[in-house]
Amino acid sequence: MKKYFKPFMLVLMLVVVLLSACAGGAEEEVTTDDSTDAVAEDVTLRVLVHQNPPMVEFIEAFNDQFSEEYPNVTIDLSVVNANDLSTVTQTRLTANDVDVIDMFAFTNAAEPYMVNVEPPNWQTLIEAGYLLDLTGQPFVDNYFPSAIEDAGTYNGKVYQVNLGTVSYSGIYYNKDMFTEYGVEVPTTWDGLVTACETFAAEDIPCMTAGGKDGWPIFVGAYGLIGSIYPDQAALVEGLWTGDIKWNDEKSIEMWEKMKVYAQDMMEEGASGIAGDAAPGRFASGAVAMFPGGTWYASAIEASEPEFEWGYIPFPGSDDPENNKYLFGKYDQGWVINANSPHTETALLYLEEFSDPANYEAFVNAVGFFPTQPGATLDTQIGQEVAPYLENFRVGFEQYWVAPKGAGQYANPWASYFQPFGTFDDVQELADKAQEDLQSGLDANQ
Amino acid sequence: MQAYHFGGGKARWVPYLLLLPGMLLYVLIALGPSIGTTFFSFTNATGIRGAPVDWVGLDNYNEFLLMGQASRDNLAALGRTLIFCFFVTTIQFALGLLIAVLVNKRVKGTNFFRTLYFMPVILGAVIQGLIWSLFLYPLGGPMAKILEFFGTSSEFFGGQPSEAFAWVIAVQIWANMGTTMIIFLAGLQTIPKEMYEAAEMDGASGWQTFKNVTWPLLTPSVNTNLLLNIIGSLQAWQLFLVLLGYRNGTQVLGYLIYAVGFGQTSGSVTSSFRQGYAAAASIVLFLLVLLLGSIAQFFLNRRERRILG
Repeated sequence: MKKYFKPFMLVLMLVVVLLSACAGGAEEEVTTDDSTDAVAEDVTLRVLVHQNPPMVEFIEAFNDQFSEEYPNVTIDLSVVNANDLSTVTQTRLTANDVDVIDMFAFTNAAEPYMVNVEPPNWQTLIEAGYLLDLTGQPFVDNYFPSAIEDAGTYNGKVYQVNLGTVSYSGIYYNKDMFTEYGVEVPTTWDGLVTACETFAAEDIPCMTAGGKDGWPIFVGAYGLIGSIYPDQAALVEGLWTGDIKWNDEKSIEMWEKMKVYAQDMMEEGASGIAGDAAPGRFASGAVAMFPGGTWYASAIEASEPEFEWGYIPFPGSDDPENNKYLFGKYDQGWVINANSPHTETALLYLEEFSDPANYEAFVNAVGFFPTQPGATLDTQIGQEVAPYLENFRVGFEQYWVAPKGAGQYANPWASYFQPFGTFDDVQELADKAQEDLQSGLDANQ
Repeated sequence: MQAYHFGGGKARWVPYLLLLPGMLLYVLIALGPSIGTTFFSFTNATGIRGAPVDWVGLDNYNEFLLMGQASRDNLAALGRTLIFCFFVTTIQFALGLLIAVLVNKRVKGTNFFRTLYFMPVILGAVIQGLIWSLFLYPLGGPMAKILEFFGTSSEFFGGQPSEAFAWVIAVQIWANMGTTMIIFLAGLQTIPKEMYEAAEMDGASGWQTFKNVTWPLLTPSVNTNLLLNIIGSLQAWQLFLVLLGYRNGTQVLGYLIYAVGFGQTSGSVTSSFRQGYAAAASIVLFLLVLLLGSIAQFFLNRRERRILG
């Protein structure tokens, strides 16, 4: 029996090591208490943001400034792709591995007219106790009450300070090219079609977009939907209640214009361009226009500093009155992990960030429209959109929640027309979109 | 002579104790999560610890398989998964075999070619995707230039869903063919040289030698490769994520599970996490893999018994 003693002990030790490893995980969970620290102690503050080059550059500089002011605080900054932000946020919050997080605004909430929909993930995170209640924090008062209410409040409590709005329904245009070919800056749909025809006659592609990433190919065209349905919240409610259909007369007009946009205006090969390469392609003078969000402005400027460009709302209607709106969204904001052992330092971080001088520098670096009353956007994009800001509206994407069971064409966020999709016939696509939506609505009755 | 290697009495427990660490690891890493996935498929779990998890019975399965147009879209994704599996398995298998036979020849430079063909396997899906995105860049990329030379063009991954889907099949084969080749190569090197010498003495042609010597004796490698190819292609999702993202008409089941589980379906970063629903979809995929894998294994085992005895 003696000869088996050693292997037996070896096995026993392996089991013990294995079980200890499991127990180690459980022990870590115990540290998720609400203890706070004093900044007098050495603290490593873990900050998570999504990839947006000018924003990351600013935050790195701000972190240096913060660490200089508070030498005991080291900032551990993580940057992830925007598409992965919600997944990484969830996993790192669950693991209590993060303190301050850049989270997108609280949107896509379940409205009373919606049936059997899932809560958005921000709501689930709040209800599970992961986000710190910021109500009553002095820095919250630095922001517009409407921004705090619309983008960061749930059940009367503040969980996010939103850092700015962006528009995604506009078009960048090449000023020199418009002057050279005598093209008027379009304010109507007909004007836009004529401009594109003029450029096409000169063998210049009219528009480009980062189609490889999917959504950028279409984001500019949210202005097209907006010019036909200026009240986007009412559009979503109408689609849910059946008052608006994707194949009624107004929607058919929308689809017809989308077809022209996808097939006649967009350059050949746009579907292969990566989202972050499109601004550079526009700035290089390869195309005349670039439909996209205001956040691209800094990338265009960085790509070609001398390049002359302008920004207009997407003219989707033949009536200029309907084209005066800029649609967009509340963009990112700061939230704090409620279980962080460094909540005091995290609050201090937000307080410093929300300081009017720091905040103004941030919006000017990133190009967000400010959510603080005193801040001004002293950049070209700020000046370009200033005339339209009073007509800024939250767009369709922030309200839309698909009914369970609805087909994949119920939401017109992507481009379904050839060459990006399979459809060529307007009526066929309109009927398909309504059929897919109706299928979901019927399934939940 | 001792009948039982470890002896009698308490010593009989030793092999079980030796198996215990491996078994515990298997339970922790494989079996446990599988049972967990099955359990969560009957709940509305979000994957967020602390969020309430309610038992919803068969609701997730009902929604995935029977509810509205979305369920028909899911079944279409299931169909695409089978199409993907068929093309990847057959082409990867045939190419892997052909290249293994070629690089098994005793000629100069075979080691270089073995390395070359195997190299894509060691790259991750993101690198593989990046390489092909650059190679197939429609605005002046290398492949676009080649097509331009022949007076044609393509949108590649950004083109029609069927075209984009076909390109992902090609990349999947390129990325994994090296494994198929290596398994065949290992099989080829176990075939005794005497068999080939005997065939040569009998005056067998190259094709006859392959058909009557190589192919039957490669049976274990054939079985392994076919099963790996079938299961691997049914579970594929990374290249769809990297190369195409969420595009209507291109999703396979593996990617669909990722998309619904991690809120990637609408393009909005504020989507819901539906891991209970994704778990139900995973079980459907698991059953599909189990069914096809079992059928394949049944016929492959029968063939192996017939050939090798």
